[in-house]
Amino acid sequence: MALIEIENLSVIFNAKGREVRAVEGVSLSVEARESFGLVGESGSGKSTILRAICGLAPVSGGTIRLGGAPVARGKAFSRRVQMVFQDPYASLHPRHTLDRTLSEPLAIHGLGDADRRVMQALEDVGLPTSFRFRYPHQLSGGQRQRVAIARALMLEPEILLLDEPTSALDASVQAETLNLLSRLRDERGLTFLMVSHDLAVIDHMCDRVLVMQHGRAVEELSREALAGAQMKTAYARSLFEASADRMLG
Amino acid sequence: MTLLSVKNLRVTFDTEAGVVEAVRGVSFSLGRERLGIVGESGSGKTMTGRSVLRLIRPPGRIAADEMLFDGQDLMKLPEREMRALRGPRMAMVMQDPKYSLNPVMKVGAQLMEGLRQRDRVGRAEAHGKAVAALEAVQIRDPERVMEAYPHELSGGMGQRVMIAMMLIPNPDLLIADEPTSALDVTVQAEVLSILDGLVRDRGMGLIFISHDLRLVARFCDRVLVMYKGRVVEELAAQDLLHAKHPYTQGLLNCLPRIGGDRGPLPGLDRNAEWAR
Repeated sequence: MALIEIENLSVIFNAKGREVRAVEGVSLSVEARESFGLVGESGSGKSTILRAICGLAPVSGGTIRLGGAPVARGKAFSRRVQMVFQDPYASLHPRHTLDRTLSEPLAIHGLGDADRRVMQALEDVGLPTSFRFRYPHQLSGGQRQRVAIARALMLEPEILLLDEPTSALDASVQAETLNLLSRLRDERGLTFLMVSHDLAVIDHMCDRVLVMQHGRAVEELSREALAGAQMKTAYARSLFEASADRMLG
Repeated sequence: MTLLSVKNLRVTFDTEAGVVEAVRGVSFSLGRERLGIVGESGSGKTMTGRSVLRLIRPPGRIAADEMLFDGQDLMKLPEREMRALRGPRMAMVMQDPKYSLNPVMKVGAQLMEGLRQRDRVGRAEAHGKAVAALEAVQIRDPERVMEAYPHELSGGMGQRVMIAMMLIPNPDLLIADEPTSALDVTVQAEVLSILDGLVRDRGMGLIFISHDLRLVARFCDRVLVMYKGRVVEELAAQDLLHAKHPYTQGLLNCLPRIGGDRGPLPGLDRNAEWAR
């Protein structure tokens, strides 16, 4: 049984009386400890799928199951699933210190020993513990993304939803952040569902990838099929060809 | 023909913690071509771009031995003449549409503002020109976008609106700061071909600031690689992927590659010597 099972998911928004079908009939399943990628152009609905899992977008049709049970949001859900957003400048509270950002989930869930856990979390993501009482504006983009990752891991979830976690970062900082995510995945046995527009990032991190366009699933590729350019649909091929300079060699 | 020549540009900020030098002695010249500036954030590439338009606010200070644009020394021009150059002669596409568009003004009004105020163009004509500019950047539904506020647009749309805005007065020099970083590959290709067309057909000079080395290698003619406020390497764009300087090589090596071994990506070695 897969850890995340999405069947025939639809997300429909009503914007000014107009229906916008952001996601239509998408199915996917992610095994425990697997990393699954979603790629596609902006507006293809890839981020919306992550948001629908979290309850940030309406599920208009289809089902989302976690570990076989229909997804129920609340505290138990937050313990299992956490999300890291694209923009580290917008996803941290500007007037909260790192200490407050990191200890808030502990307070909500009534977990004790906040002091030690916050220090440990900073260490785990490679930030100096002297940063504990800093504000987000005192950090660089890469450091902020580390804080966002630390925050997501405070409740020791098994699933991380990663929405373009490195696309706002420089190449060198992207490398550091991807290395950090890989290390944490190995250490904690995490399952990743990751959105990116960069096929090279997806290839580096994920075992399988779903190509999306206009809210629909186009093609699912294994990592081997991606590296070997064995895609069947024209759209997936065009995405791949646009990334030709991201090939090895 | 040289459009812009910059000699020994320095940008310094007087802060409480002392003097910070964001740009330290950068020299380059630009013809009617595509010049890329690459480097990490904080390397001074944006500050270099802004300096050319003299858009550095105090406590920042610009100093240069010379900054010649079309025969005029920008360092010596009074602010009033500088203002006359910005827009019609030289323009800059800023990095982030979220912060660079006016959030309480409709897109159409922002596009038309320059035409109405600067060029004294009538309302109907300004509207027509604004719509045409939006069409030129491949916006499918320009009339709707004209009536939209910036928060109603996606990042990619916002970025294209900013490019359209800068292209309306038809400048000779365009400085584009990460103009495609919020766009996905397909839209990115469209925007690049628009910029490319302007350089080729109108003979515009383009300074293309980006942290994406592979994109710059593909798109530009020449590249400056910046590190800590200095140019560490200048080379033809087609040679970028085979750069000699260890810093440039480091920037390339830390990128993941399709079909790579998925081991930890190499970090970037930084050597204080390079910044000397």
